[in-house]
Amino acid sequence: MLKQSKSVNTANGRKLTFKPFKKPVKGLPDGFEEATWAKLQAAVRAVHNKEPVSTSLEELYKAVEDMCHHKMAESLYARLQKECDAHIASQIQRLASSSTADPVLFLDQVGAVWDDMCRQMLTIRQVFTFLDRSFVVAAPGVRSLFDMGLQQFRTHLEARPQVGEKLQRGLLQQIQTERRGDAINRQLLTNLLRMLSSLGIYSTAFEAPFLEETTQFFQEEGRRLMEELDPAGYLLHCERRLREELMRRRECLAEGTEPPLQEAVEAQLVAAHLAALLDRGFPTLVAARRLDDLARLYNLADRVDMLDPVRFAFRDHIKATGTALVMDKDKDGEMVQGLLDMKAAMDAVLQQSFEGDPDFGNTLKEAFEAFINQRQNKPAELIAKFIDAELKSGKKGQTEDQLEATLDRVLILFRYISGKDVFEAFYKKDLAKRLLLGRSASTDAEKGMIAKLKAQCGAQFTSKLEGMFKDVDLSRDIVSSFRSSTAAQARIPQGVDMNINIMTAGYWPTYPVVDAKLPAELNEYQQVFKDFYLDKHQGRRLVWHNSLGTCLLKAHFQKGPKELSVSLFQTVVLSLFNDADRLGFTDIAAATGIEDRELRRTLQSLACGKWRVLTKEPKGRDVNDGDTFVFNAGFSAQLYRIKINSIQMRETVEENTKTNEQVVQDRQHQIDAAIVRIMKTRKTLSHALLVSELLVQLKFPIRTQDMKKRIESLIDREFLARDSANSNVYQYLA
Amino acid sequence: MMKRAKKAMGGAANRAAGGSSALFEQYCDPATDEIGPEGRKFLRTLHLMPINLCVLAVLLSLMLAVHAGVERFCSDINTDPSDRKVLLLAWKMRAKRMGFFSREEFQSGLTALKATTTAQIQRALPGLEEQVECNPDSFRDFCTFAFKYCLTEPSQKLIDIDTAVTMLAIVMPREPLMPRFCDFLKEQTEYKVINFDQWTSFLRFAQEVKPDLSNYRDEDAWPILLDNFVEWGRRNADRPIDFT
Repeated sequence: MLKQSKSVNTANGRKLTFKPFKKPVKGLPDGFEEATWAKLQAAVRAVHNKEPVSTSLEELYKAVEDMCHHKMAESLYARLQKECDAHIASQIQRLASSSTADPVLFLDQVGAVWDDMCRQMLTIRQVFTFLDRSFVVAAPGVRSLFDMGLQQFRTHLEARPQVGEKLQRGLLQQIQTERRGDAINRQLLTNLLRMLSSLGIYSTAFEAPFLEETTQFFQEEGRRLMEELDPAGYLLHCERRLREELMRRRECLAEGTEPPLQEAVEAQLVAAHLAALLDRGFPTLVAARRLDDLARLYNLADRVDMLDPVRFAFRDHIKATGTALVMDKDKDGEMVQGLLDMKAAMDAVLQQSFEGDPDFGNTLKEAFEAFINQRQNKPAELIAKFIDAELKSGKKGQTEDQLEATLDRVLILFRYISGKDVFEAFYKKDLAKRLLLGRSASTDAEKGMIAKLKAQCGAQFTSKLEGMFKDVDLSRDIVSSFRSSTAAQARIPQGVDMNINIMTAGYWPTYPVVDAKLPAELNEYQQVFKDFYLDKHQGRRLVWHNSLGTCLLKAHFQKGPKELSVSLFQTVVLSLFNDADRLGFTDIAAATGIEDRELRRTLQSLACGKWRVLTKEPKGRDVNDGDTFVFNAGFSAQLYRIKINSIQMRETVEENTKTNEQVVQDRQHQIDAAIVRIMKTRKTLSHALLVSELLVQLKFPIRTQDMKKRIESLIDREFLARDSANSNVYQYLA
Repeated sequence: MMKRAKKAMGGAANRAAGGSSALFEQYCDPATDEIGPEGRKFLRTLHLMPINLCVLAVLLSLMLAVHAGVERFCSDINTDPSDRKVLLLAWKMRAKRMGFFSREEFQSGLTALKATTTAQIQRALPGLEEQVECNPDSFRDFCTFAFKYCLTEPSQKLIDIDTAVTMLAIVMPREPLMPRFCDFLKEQTEYKVINFDQWTSFLRFAQEVKPDLSNYRDEDAWPILLDNFVEWGRRNADRPIDFT
């Protein structure tokens, strides 16, 4: 209020004076506070009793404001507080004395009380807004009106523990009911849980016991269902439960409950039983290619951070099935195809169920490497043979792309094998046969294969194989120039034409030289060619390999001529019958000079097989010394050209053993060379260090036993000696 | 024949003769100037026999009524020819050929023993035994000698199993592992002969490895023969030892 008058000088000099209103300051009427409070109290009570309020909101609002203006805020607050407190106390008391046995009804009651309280407090706060915004804000430690109400509610609730207990039981029971499959009032649940949050007692009054019950529930359920359901069904159930729990949480429970809830369910349903699930179910699921179920397993295991056990189960399964495949000696013929199929299946599982997880990928690789090397040498040999079959002519029903895809897949298997020199030995042998006997389906495919091997194993591995191809090309050139050389052509005998392959000794496999007395024309031709060749390449030595020769003969039978595709040895034998119709075994032996076993095999193929251009007396499979062979003049067949030399292509048991033995021999030499090399550099080395150094240097698997054998051999041959002072140390003897 | 008559004098009378040289001449074969089992024919047969019979023939008493030089010598020192002491003597003499002592060998051996008469030789024998027993270097040397002593051919490097077994029994009769090792050698079929490295390795084995084989490590540089022995030994731990 203006107390002083103000004077202002106007433009024309007259003084203007302002005087304050002279209103007399009335003192507050007596009983102002009581009367005002009575009005307010009546309103509050009406709200609490859900009756209409007689006084208007404006008036009430002003009453509050007045009281606050007249320094009655604090006592007003106290009075209001007392009023609310009494009301809330009675509400809670009603709940405490409620005899409702049905938990749902009780929850309803609690819910109703809470709703009322909230609504009423809001209304009251509306009325007492001025108080809330002035006094409460200014005074520290004084709760806002709504909070005051909450606080009172909570206090009284805590004073009546049986209410809280009943409430808790009811809430938990609701959740269990829903878990068991029955419907509940989710809205009520949500409401009450929010109430607990607002009251600040959510964790103690609900969350902690909820989590405990959840754990127990799923512990029991997990155990029960593990007995009742098969693994795939169980996993499905886990997935469903997790989904349900999380959805309920999202709708009804506080956000903070989600992590512990999820953890509890996962721990009880998944983690606790994962080992048993893997044990019981993993192999069957994989074997039955249940990719979806496996994906589910992977996801669930990932959630509980237990991917490692799954990975080990994967590894063990691969090892078990793989070992069974590889070790079954009766099923060697199907091993490679079986391995290819298995690899494809495991790859599908890896990609589709395990999300291409790199750790699982590594485990797959390691597991394959482990089992495939359980059996020494055989897998490598069989893979080489498989590729041989693919690359040979007569293999029908594949496009180029399909062939390439197959070869790529086989090479992946090859990569797992540790003794690659066995593969090389067999591959070389088979390749040589294909090249020399003209059995390759496609040179492009052959060269492509070499390129793949080179990329995998390095140039050194394939250098000899490439050399073989070069030899074939060079031979073609030489033969062509031989054919165009008039001088040479003049000297060759009539009626013979030869195609010759010159093999550089180091590239090709070694073949035993089997002598035979060739027909004169063949000898002559060979001599002319030899002269021609050595003329161009002095200083070289040529050795004819009869066992590899093939011929195309024109044979005249009674029913007409035929072309016979035969081996050189078969030719030598057959040409004897140009001069005689019947010949005894011993005569043939003498005339051909062919080694005994080879001769018998040759005669067998001519007289005892499918195409009998000779007949044997007496009949029978075996060729005995006393047998006689007769030219089968009456021979007939559908085709004009008949192949009788398929025995050349087939691998004999001896050949196989020989190749394997050669690998063993080569390895021994390599070990010896490595030992000498190491010892020469180091001069003196302990046994343990020598062994570890060898394991690093040698590219094939080797046992310590084998190393010791070679060391002892070298000691015997005086390359090494044991150190006189320390028996575990070797000395290099220069 | 003349020398045989001289033999009747006996060892004691030699004191007058003086020197190992004289002693040598009592037993040696004048044609070869060495002490050996006499009888050329017998010698030739010996060479044709497999080596083990050779050993037996030499070290066991001959059934022939031939007073061979070695046998006489042995009886004069009151020692059975198959006794270990004879081998020890051979070792001292560094004898190169089994069953024979050359003049130099005989003389150098006696010098080392400081003996000129058979009586003195006899008295020196226990000392020899003790030397080998107590001095590990001497024992090693003795064992090495024993192996080489069995090699009759110039380029021979190996001795067959039977010879090895016999030799081991003579060379280390008190070694607890020896009987079992001999059993093993006879039973196994992988090795038909033993080389020098394996022989010396067994010597080391006997020194380093406990009789129950518990401290053997096969990742050490033992020859495979001994790896096999340990495996066999562990498998047959309960079997009684075959002393035949």
